[in-house]
Amino acid sequence: MLEGTGVTKKFGGLVAVSNFDFSVEQGQIVGLIGPNGSGKTTLFNVITGFYPADGGRIVFKGREITRDKPYQIAKLGIARTFQIVRPLLSLSVLDNVAIAVLYGRENMSSMAKGRMRALEILKFVGLESKKNILAHQLVAAERKRLELARALAIKPEFLLLDETFSGLSDMEIQEAIKLIYRIRDDLGITIFLIEHVMKAVMGTCEKIMVIHYGVKLAEGKPEEVSKNPSVIQAYLGKRHA
Amino acid sequence: MQLLMLVVIVFLFAFPFIRPPLFFLTLLFSVFMYVGLTESWNLMGGYTGYVSLGHVTFFAIGAYTTALFLNRFGISPFATAILGGVFAAMVAALVGYPVLRLKGAYFTISTLLLAVVMQLIFMNWEFVGSSTGLWFKLLPVTMETNRLIFYEVMLALATLITLLVRWVEKSKLGAGLIAIREDEDVAKTIGINAPWLKVQAFILGAFFAGIVGGVYGYYMSYIHPDITFNINTSLLILLMAFFGGCKTWAGPLLGAVILSLANQLIVTFIGAEISRILYGLLLIIVIIFMPNGVIEYIKVPQILRKERTP
Amino acid sequence: MSLSYILETIISGILFGGIYALLSAGFSLTWGTMKVLNISHAVFAVLGSYIAYWFFVKGGIDPILSLPLLALILFFVGGIVYRLVIRPVTKAKDVVMASMVATFGVAIVVENVMSYFWRPDPRILKPPYTGTSFFIGEMAISKGPLIGFILAILAIALLYLFLSHTYTGKGVQATWQNPIGAALVGINPERVSLITFGLSIASAGVAGVAMAFVYAFYPSVQTVWTLFVFLVTIVGGVGNILGAAFAGLTVGFIIGVSAAFLPFVWVNVLLFALLLFILLFKPEGLFGT
Repeated sequence: MLEGTGVTKKFGGLVAVSNFDFSVEQGQIVGLIGPNGSGKTTLFNVITGFYPADGGRIVFKGREITRDKPYQIAKLGIARTFQIVRPLLSLSVLDNVAIAVLYGRENMSSMAKGRMRALEILKFVGLESKKNILAHQLVAAERKRLELARALAIKPEFLLLDETFSGLSDMEIQEAIKLIYRIRDDLGITIFLIEHVMKAVMGTCEKIMVIHYGVKLAEGKPEEVSKNPSVIQAYLGKRHA
Repeated sequence: MQLLMLVVIVFLFAFPFIRPPLFFLTLLFSVFMYVGLTESWNLMGGYTGYVSLGHVTFFAIGAYTTALFLNRFGISPFATAILGGVFAAMVAALVGYPVLRLKGAYFTISTLLLAVVMQLIFMNWEFVGSSTGLWFKLLPVTMETNRLIFYEVMLALATLITLLVRWVEKSKLGAGLIAIREDEDVAKTIGINAPWLKVQAFILGAFFAGIVGGVYGYYMSYIHPDITFNINTSLLILLMAFFGGCKTWAGPLLGAVILSLANQLIVTFIGAEISRILYGLLLIIVIIFMPNGVIEYIKVPQILRKERTP
Repeated sequence: MSLSYILETIISGILFGGIYALLSAGFSLTWGTMKVLNISHAVFAVLGSYIAYWFFVKGGIDPILSLPLLALILFFVGGIVYRLVIRPVTKAKDVVMASMVATFGVAIVVENVMSYFWRPDPRILKPPYTGTSFFIGEMAISKGPLIGFILAILAIALLYLFLSHTYTGKGVQATWQNPIGAALVGINPERVSLITFGLSIASAGVAGVAMAFVYAFYPSVQTVWTLFVFLVTIVGGVGNILGAAFAGLTVGFIIGVSAAFLPFVWVNVLLFALLLFILLFKPEGLFGT
C-alpha cells in the first residue's frame, strides 16, 4: 500500500536516511525500530512531505507522492502523529478533533457537523468525557489519545505513529496495544509505527524493519529480527552479538 | 447578550437624530473606523497568528482609489469604496503570496517594510499627487448632514465587518486559520492548505480595510502619504487588537472602542505626539504584562460562552 | 551619462553602504545573539544624530570629538531600555515576536518624544570639513559621505575587535554560543545581555552621526533607516557582523548603481523586492555561514 524505494535524505553533509527501501501491505501493522538518531522520524517526515527527499521514490496506492505537500498527503489518506505530541493547546479537545474532521477526507463544511463526528472519534479513543476541556489541561497519556484521535479524524487509510508508547505505564501500554488493533480491525487502517518500547513492538507488529545510521539493517518477523546479530550489535554493541 | 448588542447598535444608528454636538459624531466616526480596521486586521493577526504591521497600507490604498475615481471620473466614493477594497485586495494578493511563506517574524518585518515602501512610492508618484496630496470635493450639504452621513456609513461598515469577521471565526475557514496559529505543521497534517488559507485571510482583511479607507478619505477630504500611510495607524490597530484580546471577535471590538475613544480625546485635548507616546508605552505594557488582552479578565457571561462549544 | 558620473554614483553608493553597515551591525548582533528583534534600533541612530547635532549647534563641539561621550550616553540609554523592556520580553514564549512588537512600541515612543521636543523639521549636520569634495580626475567625492564612511568602518572594526579580542567581548561571544558553559565558568549572563544590548544601541548612535553627515534627518526618518537596517542584516546573515559589513557595501553598491539609472522611488522598491527575494530563497543571507 505504501512503498518507498531508495529513499535518501541528507542534511548538508549528514546522510540521515540512505537508500532506504520499505513496503507496507494493506492491513498490516509494521514496525520501524532503531537506536536514537538512526533516521526513523526523518523517514516519516520525508514520507509526509515535511522534508523533500534527496533521492528515491515513495508510492501510495500506486500513486507517487514523493513531491507532494503535507496537506495533499493528508488528503490522500495518510495520517501521522508526532513523537512529542502537539495538541492545539488553546482549543478544546473536541475542537482539536473537529477541525481535523472538517479538513480531512470527510471534507465537511459545518463546524457543528464536524463536532458531532469528532465526538464519535473521541468515544473510540476513550476521551469523550474530556471533550470540553482545553487541550493544554490534559495529562500526557490523554494528550497521546488526543493526538491519535486527531489523526483518525481525517479518515485515513494509513497511519504513521511516531513513538506512541513512550512514557506509558505497563497498563497503559496494554490498553494502547488494544487500541492499535481496534484501529486496524474496526477501522481498516494500515499502520506503520516507529517504536522504542519493545513490548509494544512485539505485541503488535507482524513485520519489523531495523534502521541504523539511515540504512536498513534488517527486516522480518519480530522473533527473527530480535535474534539477528547485527541488530543486537547495533543496539548493544559487539560484545553482546 | 446578543439582544443587548442589537439594542446598542439600534441606539447608535438613531443617535445622530437627537442632534448631539458634532464633536460626538466625529468622535464616534473615528471609533467605528478603528473597529472596522482592527476587526479586519484580526483575521490575520489574531486568528492566524501572523502579525501584520502594514494594515495601514490597504487602508490608504482604499483612500487613494476613491480619491482618484472622484477626481478623474466624478464617481462618488460611496460607490467606489468597494473598488478601494478591491485594489487593496489585489495588492494583498500580489504581496501576500510570497510574504506569507515567511516565518512569523519575517512576515511581520515584511509588512512593516511594505508600509514604509508604499509610503515612499506614493510620496514620489505624480499620478497620485506625490507630496502635494489629493483633495476630495466636499459633499454639497451642511456640516451637520455631512457628519451624519459619514457617521451612519461608517457605523454600517463597522457593524458589517464585525459580523463578517465573527462569522469567519465560527466557520470552517476560521477553524483552519486558528489551527494554523496554534501549530502550522500540525495543521498541514490534517489536510489544511496553509498558504491558501493564509492568503484568503490576508486578502479579506485587506479588502475590508480598503473599503474603510475609501470612506475615510472622503470624510477627511484631503489625503497625503504622510497622514494616510502613517505607520502610527498600524500601531494603533495592533495595540487595540492586543489590548482587547486578539483571539476572538469581541476583543478587537472592545480594544478599538476603548482605545480610539481615549485616543481621540487625548489627541484633541493634549496633542498627537503625547498620544503616540502613551500608546507606544501601552503597547509595551500590554505585550509584557497581558499579552492575551483585557478580554481575558472580563468574565464572559455563560450565554456568550455557550456559542463556542456545544 | 559619462563614465565618471557612473563611477561617482557607484563610489557614493559604496560610501553610503559602509555607513549602513555600521547602522545594521548592532541590530544584527542583538537579533543573532539574544534573539531580540529590536525594531527601535534605527530610532536610536536618529537620536544619535540629534545629540551630535545639539552638541555641535549649541555647544560648538565637533561631532567627531563628541563621539565618545555620545557613545557612552547611548550605551546608557540602551541599558535602560534593556532593563525596562528587553529583559522582561526575553521571558516570553516567542521572544522574537514579543521583542519585535515591544520594540515597535519603543520606536514610536522615542520617535514621538524627539518630535515633541525638537519638532519634526529636517536637520543636517554640517561641520565645515564636510562641505567640499575631493576630486579624482573628473569625479567628485563629497567629503561628508567619505568621513561618514571612514567613521563607520572604524566603528565596525572596533566593535568586531572588541568582541573577538577583549576579555569582556569574548565573554559576550561565549555566552551566546554556550550559555550554560559560560555561566559555569563564572560569566554573568545578565551582564552580558546588558553589555550586548548597550553596545548595540551605542553603535546605532555612532551610525546616526555618520548618517547625519550624509542625509537630512528628522524623527520619522527612522522608518526609512529601518528598511536599510533590515536589508543589510538579512543580506549579511543575522548575527554576523563581518557579514553585515560586506552586505552594507554590497547594498550600497546596488543603491549606487540603481540610483544612477532609476528614479529615486524605484530604488526603494528594488530594495524591498531584493529583501523579499532573499528572505524567500536565501534567508541565511548572502554572506551567512
